Amino acid sequence: MSKLTLIDGAPNEIIMEREFDAPRKLVVQAMTSPALIKRWLGGVRATVVTAEVDLRVGGSYRYVFELPHGGQFSFTGVYREIGDDRVVHSERFNDDPRESVVTTTWTERHGKTTLRVVIAFESKDVRDMVLGTGMADGAGESYDKLEQLVANL
Amino acid sequence: MTPERLDATFSALADPTRRAILARLAQGEASVMELAEPFAMSQPAISKHLKVLERAGLISRGRDAQRRPCRLEAEPLRDASGWIEHYRQFWDASFDALDDVLEDLKKAARKPKRTKETP
Repeated sequence: MSKLTLIDGAPNEIIMEREFDAPRKLVVQAMTSPALIKRWLGGVRATVVTAEVDLRVGGSYRYVFELPHGGQFSFTGVYREIGDDRVVHSERFNDDPRESVVTTTWTERHGKTTLRVVIAFESKDVRDMVLGTGMADGAGESYDKLEQLVANL
Repeated sequence: MTPERLDATFSALADPTRRAILARLAQGEASVMELAEPFAMSQPAISKHLKVLERAGLISRGRDAQRRPCRLEAEPLRDASGWIEHYRQFWDASFDALDDVLEDLKKAARKPKRTKETP
């Protein structure tokens, strides 16, 4: 059973929630320090080959992933807001000019931390397209027509 | 649906011609010749795309030796429309790995600080 919850938000959003059995300080550290990011991001599905993090407002980050069967994909963005329990940054998948805005919050309760990530895309269409790219396999193709196709089946 | 199967479906769907072929087949079965017509492509080129689609389980071919009509198989497409699942799998795998990193950090935090240890 997956511990990750996907929550319905606005039509242009993806919202993820996940609880970790660790205090907020450690979760934030693991999610913002390049050396630690390399150890978990992508899990068994992708390896982080480059992790650059300039954690300050206006600073940028860059993650480059390598897939088990070859191929790379990347996430890049700029930090807009940085707090102890909240970070807001822009995000771009590969060279796609369309940006999303990612708001990450960490809430600690009884030594456990709930992570909430809200990814807001320009529109519902862009959100559906991103989900359709199969982000994890880096196909990098748009499947906008597919949605229509499936709807017509 | 396994991630491998989903990947095969997505690769097959990555090509606009193949998506167009599926859109045509959604209206009913068709022969290679009938499919080649609207695309201004040679029959061998269309056959190549059909093989990819067939391997991904997205279409099936009839037995009629002359026509071998192509038919849309809707099931893998319906699965692939659960795109969100693909996305979830990526983050699920990531956060499971993060659990392990956090266990290590908790252990390190409990241990008395040693001078040689890197942060």
